[in-house]
Amino acid sequence: MAAIRALAPVFLAVLPFGLVYGAVAVQEGLTVLQALGFSATIFAGASQLAALQLMGIGAPLWSVLLTVFALNFRHVLYSASLSRHLGTFSGPQKALAFFLLVDPLFGAAEARAAKRRLTPAFYLTYGILMYLGWQLATLAGASFGELIEDPEAFGLDFVLPVYFLGLVMGFRKRGLFYPVAGTSLAVSVVVYWLAGPPWHVSFGGLAGIAVAAVIGPQKRADAAIGEDRAGGAA
Amino acid sequence: MNGAELLSEAGWSVGSIWLVILVAGALTYLTRFGGHILISLLGTIPPRASAALDAVPAAVMTAIVAPVLVSGDWPERVAIVVCVILSLRLPLIAVVVIGTAMVAGARALGW
Repeated sequence: MAAIRALAPVFLAVLPFGLVYGAVAVQEGLTVLQALGFSATIFAGASQLAALQLMGIGAPLWSVLLTVFALNFRHVLYSASLSRHLGTFSGPQKALAFFLLVDPLFGAAEARAAKRRLTPAFYLTYGILMYLGWQLATLAGASFGELIEDPEAFGLDFVLPVYFLGLVMGFRKRGLFYPVAGTSLAVSVVVYWLAGPPWHVSFGGLAGIAVAAVIGPQKRADAAIGEDRAGGAA
Repeated sequence: MNGAELLSEAGWSVGSIWLVILVAGALTYLTRFGGHILISLLGTIPPRASAALDAVPAAVMTAIVAPVLVSGDWPERVAIVVCVILSLRLPLIAVVVIGTAMVAGARALGW
């Protein structure tokens, strides 16, 4: 149930995005099955749209693959951090967990792990529902074209930023929070200007992580975990 | 609206489209467990690497949110700052609802 509660607001933002992807895919000339194929194997909206765009202008196959890989590189950071919280997961559960690892699930899992043990039940419920929702939204978008006329009128494009913001604020009691978040903020903004999305995530993220690596371990790690428990994201 | 031919005009056969679907999917899965493999290969995690890993959630999630401050219009910028303040007190779901309602309201009013 905790997983469903955590997922509910995210669905509002992700499902319209899936509809848009499905509609664009069919307009670009994919069959409904191919549009679903991308959603089923890649399961990462920004890189799916980028692949479509490149294929539409006749870019070579290797450049499409390279772009998808580069856009999704941020997941390496996610899986490195997450792997420390999967102690109770069996081998196959880990394999599935990493397959399902999308941005909101990473955020929710880290916030959960800061407060209590991350269970397969929580993680996999969230991930599988998200995956099924993405496939259904793709199918609906591909089948009915522009089903959603203007998701922005309802502010739905704003749901994910606020969601991530709320999750981030749950980590604010950690020792290095302000130098790390401040650096990520600055670098993300600059990269967003220079290169556009989603490069700002990888570069902004790496910059903040580099700051933490340079400053090094904090002695009061135990105290920080205790404070997380008191002030963590709900 | 007669886009159904776009990809084949751009030189994409059915086979090459499915090749992209499968290989791009495999590459994405590689990124999703790649970090886990790296950490496993390290065996014990050095303290500095551990400090870096602890910073991953705050760093990447801040990087995800940051562009709202520069790419959005004023309602989004104001709303995200208000949400920072609200999230000091309110639970996550309340902040999401209030923030989204603020942006939707401002757009309905044509701000």
